[in-house]
Amino acid sequence: MPHIEIVGITKVYEQPAAPPIVALDGVDLTVEHDQFVSLVGPSGCGKSTLLHLVGGFISPSTGEIRIDGRPVTGPGPDRGIVFQNFALFPWLTVRGNVEYGLAEKGIPRRERRKVAQHFIDMVKLTGFEEVYPHRLSGGMQQRVALARMLACDPQILLMDEPFGALDAQTRLILQEELKEIWRQARKTVLFVTHDVREAVFLSQRVVVMTARPGRIKEIVDTDLPADAPRLAVDALAEDIWATLREEVLKAVVPGDRREQAP
Amino acid sequence: MTTIRFYLPLFLSLVAWQAAVTAGLAPAEMVPAPLAVFEGLWRLLRGGELLRHVGVSMYRQLAGFMLAAVIGTALGIGMARLEGVRLVFEPLLKLLYPLPKSALIPLLILWFGIGHNSKIFAIFLGCLLPVVLSVYNGSRGIPRWLVWSAQSLGTRPYRLLWKVYFPATLPDLLSGLRIGLALSFTLLVSSEFLIARAGLGFLIQSVGEMGDYAAMFAAILVVALIGFAADRLFVRLMARALRWQEP
Amino acid sequence: MHATPVLRRALGLGVLKRWASVIALFALWEGVCRARLVDPFLLPALSEVLRRGAGELWSGELVAFTALTLYRTLAAFVLAGAIGIAIGVSMSLSAPLRWFGEPVVSFAFPIPKIALMPIFVLWFGVFDLSKIVMTTVAAVVTVISATHLGTRHIDKYLLWSAQSLGTHRRALFWKIVIPAALPAILTGLQIALPMCLIVSIVTEMITGGRGLGGYMIYASRFAESDKVFLGIFLTALIGYVLTEGLAMARRRLLAWHPEETVMV
Repeated sequence: MPHIEIVGITKVYEQPAAPPIVALDGVDLTVEHDQFVSLVGPSGCGKSTLLHLVGGFISPSTGEIRIDGRPVTGPGPDRGIVFQNFALFPWLTVRGNVEYGLAEKGIPRRERRKVAQHFIDMVKLTGFEEVYPHRLSGGMQQRVALARMLACDPQILLMDEPFGALDAQTRLILQEELKEIWRQARKTVLFVTHDVREAVFLSQRVVVMTARPGRIKEIVDTDLPADAPRLAVDALAEDIWATLREEVLKAVVPGDRREQAP
Repeated sequence: MTTIRFYLPLFLSLVAWQAAVTAGLAPAEMVPAPLAVFEGLWRLLRGGELLRHVGVSMYRQLAGFMLAAVIGTALGIGMARLEGVRLVFEPLLKLLYPLPKSALIPLLILWFGIGHNSKIFAIFLGCLLPVVLSVYNGSRGIPRWLVWSAQSLGTRPYRLLWKVYFPATLPDLLSGLRIGLALSFTLLVSSEFLIARAGLGFLIQSVGEMGDYAAMFAAILVVALIGFAADRLFVRLMARALRWQEP
Repeated sequence: MHATPVLRRALGLGVLKRWASVIALFALWEGVCRARLVDPFLLPALSEVLRRGAGELWSGELVAFTALTLYRTLAAFVLAGAIGIAIGVSMSLSAPLRWFGEPVVSFAFPIPKIALMPIFVLWFGVFDLSKIVMTTVAAVVTVISATHLGTRHIDKYLLWSAQSLGTHRRALFWKIVIPAALPAILTGLQIALPMCLIVSIVTEMITGGRGLGGYMIYASRFAESDKVFLGIFLTALIGYVLTEGLAMARRRLLAWHPEETVMV
C-alpha cells in the first residue's frame, strides 16, 4: 500500500466580492514509503497548499488524502512539518523547542532530554541548547526546526520550501545534511521548492506543477545514484527547467493578476 | 551606578530647591523645602499613619489590577477565538472606549459607597480595556504556522490555548498591563481624593486641609514614588518574562 | 467558511448584528427599570435619563458647564502641545537639556500626576488656573516624550539624501526632522487629548464647582443618578468627538504616510 495517496484533490478559495481562486484542480499523486518526492512549480501554483492539505491544516474542497489507507482528518504527529520561516516557538529555547513534541506525547523529562540531545547533536547545534531562537542565524533556526520535527519521529516529513529563506551557501550545506539525514532515517518526504536543482539533488521523483490552477504537469524520475556527478544533476535539472519554464512564463504574463492572490 | 548617575539631575534639583527656599527666594509656607518635606515624611511614618494608608491604597490597587488582568486576558483571548464572545463584547468595548473611565467615579460612588469597592471597581474598569484590547489584538495576530507547527507536533486543541495562544499573546498582554498599571494609580488617587476615609489620596487631602503642607508634599511624594517603583518593577518583570523576544 | 459573511452582508444584517449586544443592554436596562427591579436612585431608566437630558439642555446650565469643561480641556491641550513639542525638540537638539530632561520625563511618566492637584490648588486657588495647570502638567509629559522619541532618531539616510540634494545643515531641521517626526508627535497629541479631558473632569470633581465634573459629583452626592448618567453620556460624546476630530486631522496631515493609506 502506498504511504500517501492524493486522490482527485481540488482546493478552491472563496473570496468576498471576487471570483473564487482555484488553487488546485484535480490532483492525483501517490507516494511510496521512504520515498523522497519534490513538488516544483511557479509561485502560486498551489504546491504549498497541497502540502498543507497533506498536513491536515486545511481541508480540500473535493477529493481525499489517505495516509496508509486512512483518510486525513486533521494535523497529527505522524506528519511533521518544516516551514520556510522556521516557525519556531520564540518563547522556548532550542532545547525547549526540540523537546516540545516529546512533552506533548507525555514522555518523561529525563527520556525527553536524551532524545532531544540526540537530535540537537545531529543537526550540529551542540552547545546552543539554552539559546532562544532570535539569537540564531536563519540556517541555525532551520536546523532547530528540523530537529524539532525529527524528535517527534514522524513517518512523513512535510517540508515547505525549508531552505527558501536562507543564503546560497547555507542552502547547499543544509541540502547535503538533509540528504544524509534522510539516507539514515528513511522517512517519506514531501518537499516543496521552487529550486529545480535542489529538487533533483535531493529527491527520487520530481513532480512538476502547472501555473494556477495547479495541476500535475509531469512527474520525472530523478533517482540518481548517490555518487552521481554534479554534472548529471545539472543536466537533469536543465531538462525539468525547460518543462517548467513555460509554466513560469505563463504565471507572470503582464496584466495577469493571479500572482497577487494569496 | 548608572541609574544613580542618570537620575542625578533630579537630586540636584532637590538641592537647588532647598537652596532657593533657604535663601528666601520662595515662600516656605507655600513651597516647603525638601528637608521640611522629609521631616513631614518622618512625622507621618513615625505615627504608623502613613503605612496604614499605604496598605489600604495598595490593597485597592492590587485587587482592581489583578481582577482586570485575569478577566481581561480571558475576555481578550475569548474574543479572538470565539465568534460568539466577540459579537457580544466588541460593541460593548467600542461603546466604553471613548469614555474616560474617571467619569464613572461619581456613579461608582453612588453604587458602591465610600469604602473599598468603589475604588476597586474604578481601577478594574480602567485597567480592563487596555488589557482586553491588547490581548485581543495580540491573539488575533498569531501566525497560523505557529499553530500548525504545534498541531503537527501533537498538541491537542484544548492545550493549544496554554501552549501557543498564551505565550504568543504574552508580549501584548504585558504591554497592556503596563498601561493599566499607570492608569490604576491615577484612578486610585482620583477616587480617594473624591471620597474616602482612608488611603493615600485621603491622607494627602486631610493633612492639606490641616495646613500641614510639608506632610502633604511628603504624602504626594510617596504616591509618586510608589507609582514610579511599580512601573520600574513591572518593566523588570516584563523583561524577564520576555527574555526570549528580540531586543 | 467565507460564505457566511457574504450571505450576512447580502441580507443587511451586519449593522444590526454588530450592535446587537449594545441594543440588548439598553433594552435590558430599560426593562429592568420599568419592572421596578432596581432602586431608581441607583439606576434610572434610560428613557428617564434622556428625558432629563432634553430638559437640562433647554435650561442652558448644562450647556454652559459642558462649554467650560471643553474650554479647560482645549486650553490645556494647546498649552501642553506647544510646550511639549518645544521641550521635546529642544531636548533632541541640546545635550545639556537632554541630560536634565530625560530623567525628569522618565520619572514623571509613570507617576499618577493627579496627586499633584492639591499643590496646584494651594498655589493657584480653586478656579480655572489650577485646573488648567494641572491638566497641562499631566498631558505635557506624554507630548515631550513622544516628540523627543520622534526627533531623536531620524533615519540618517534621509538626512544624507537631503544634504546631498543641497539642503543646508540648518534647514534640515524644518525640512526633514519635523516631517519625519510628525507621526510620532501626532501620536503623542492623540494620547494627550483624551488625557486632557479626563484630567479636566477629575479636577472639576475634586474642587467642585462648575463644569461637567462638578455637575456629576454633586449629582452623585445628592443621589440624582439620572444627572450622573447624563454627565457620563456627555463625557463619552465629547471624548468621541475630540478623538475622532484629531484622528481626521492626522489623516490629512499624514496623507503621505503609508500607515494612513492602508487604513483608509
